[in-house]
Amino acid sequence: MRMTPVTRSSHHRVGFDTIFHGLLWVCAVLVLASLGGLILLMATGGWQAFTAFGLDFFTRTSWNPVKDIYGVLAPLLGTVVSTIIAMLIAVPMAFGTAFWLVYIASSRFASIVGTTIQLLAAVPSIIFGMWGFQTIVPFIARDVQPFLNHHFRHTPILGPILSGPPVGTGLVTAGIILAMMIAPFITAVMVDVFGAVPPMLRESAYGLGATRWEMMRKIVVPWSRNGMIGAIVLGMGRALGETMAVTFIIGNVTSVGWSLFAPRSTVASLIALQFPESPAGSLRLSSLMALGFILMVLSCVSLVLARLLRGKRS
Amino acid sequence: MMSASMPFTEHLTGSSGDEPVQEVALAVRGVNFYYGSHHALHDISLDFPARCVTAMIGPSGCGKSTLLRIFNKMYDLYPGQRATGEVMFDGRNILDDSISLDMLRARIGMVFQKPTPFPMSIYENIAFGVRLHEKLSRTAMDERVQDVLTRVALWNEVRDRLHAPATGLSGGQQQRLCIARSIATRPEVLLLDEPTSALDPISTARIEELLDELKEEFTIVVVTHNMQQAARCADQVAFFYLGRLVEMDTADRIFTNPRQKQTQDYITGRFG
Repeated sequence: MRMTPVTRSSHHRVGFDTIFHGLLWVCAVLVLASLGGLILLMATGGWQAFTAFGLDFFTRTSWNPVKDIYGVLAPLLGTVVSTIIAMLIAVPMAFGTAFWLVYIASSRFASIVGTTIQLLAAVPSIIFGMWGFQTIVPFIARDVQPFLNHHFRHTPILGPILSGPPVGTGLVTAGIILAMMIAPFITAVMVDVFGAVPPMLRESAYGLGATRWEMMRKIVVPWSRNGMIGAIVLGMGRALGETMAVTFIIGNVTSVGWSLFAPRSTVASLIALQFPESPAGSLRLSSLMALGFILMVLSCVSLVLARLLRGKRS
Repeated sequence: MMSASMPFTEHLTGSSGDEPVQEVALAVRGVNFYYGSHHALHDISLDFPARCVTAMIGPSGCGKSTLLRIFNKMYDLYPGQRATGEVMFDGRNILDDSISLDMLRARIGMVFQKPTPFPMSIYENIAFGVRLHEKLSRTAMDERVQDVLTRVALWNEVRDRLHAPATGLSGGQQQRLCIARSIATRPEVLLLDEPTSALDPISTARIEELLDELKEEFTIVVVTHNMQQAARCADQVAFFYLGRLVEMDTADRIFTNPRQKQTQDYITGRFG
């Protein structure tokens, strides 16, 4: 009696399943195709610059649209150094916050702060850019730089690194803003990672008389190592590619030097500013495309490195 | 205070009264426990005789694990959980705030339902706890590790891979490692919370044998759902129901001739 509807519905399902299966294939192929297409576009677009300048493209410090000579060292260093500064600030902050949220705070307070962190992680970067321009740039220019210039200007080694024209824009300012942007993001991921440590494992450590510090160092950190690396790399990826906030506060001067407080530029900020005014087919546009290619490679390499770090463990 | 303990000492020494009064490792007096506003243990009083295995049985949620976790103050980690009353251990009430938690936990060890090897080598799993309390030379630490691994009958199985990750051991081996880790800090009391519930029958039998050997040196408190296990391993059995101690007696008497009807119903499988 029930046979007829059953066969009909199973027939119907097979047809649906085939379509669904095909759709999923399309999705998977689209992912591969879009990544491949992006790499291809950047590589071919930048080809003119790569062939015109050769290796000099990577070592030349000037980016000179007037003479039509381009080198990527300045924006590349700007990106790398501002990201390093951001990570140095954000990672310890995120680690501490996440640990506190998961293991120390009362659950009610933790949920309030936890939600706030997720909201912060969702704030558009342009907001951070405006805030940085209004608040951090004047603070660095008026309070931090005069102090550093006064005390360190003639100190060997530290002098050139810490002093600079008191304009407030530069690598440190960008690093601070980037850290503010990515710390909530890293924290949110780390909270999940720490939360995944089995409670019984924690209690076992406490049960042997371990303090919170010992439990964190010997149990939580080794246990969550992979997840923490993942969190850090995700944050780093954002910092490497962040454009608008950085463009607001980095100063946008393509130069290379020791000072962390002088105006610089990053790969993303340089592209953002010059791409719209570069004519099609020009060497300048090609150089910008090449920069984009390098930025993609940089992100991919950091991702691969993280994979390798994780792989070693398991 | 002493009068409250009388009925229990009476059970332990038997009705004839001519056996010597047994040394008590943990004396629980009028203990109540709260998870927030939920009253989980009601006025519990009982003694845990030294160098004996005491089993705590009862249906899920009866409070036996809760009581176990009071003894090393694990509840202290969680805001909102609190205990009142007295648990006397070595002349002091461990529920006092002045008790040093790390010292208490060095003297009262705990083993959990599931093996919980730390993410480090077999050797380091044991050395970890020891280092928290003692400063040993390399050779002394090696000896301590060998000693406790021998006692849990794991030495011969792992002697060649002491520095391999502990997570590579089988479940039964991991649990014996956890017991070794707990006794490595030389505690006086060993708390076991359903230590064999995640193990196969052979591993379970080995752990039970181990308890029999360990009780010569340690006071053992074991929470179990397995009635046969309680009958096989325990000298004393305490039966809990709905947060109250129903009955405490020698294992023989609990399983052959319990005084309370609830106990009778539970051990014959009528509920729980």
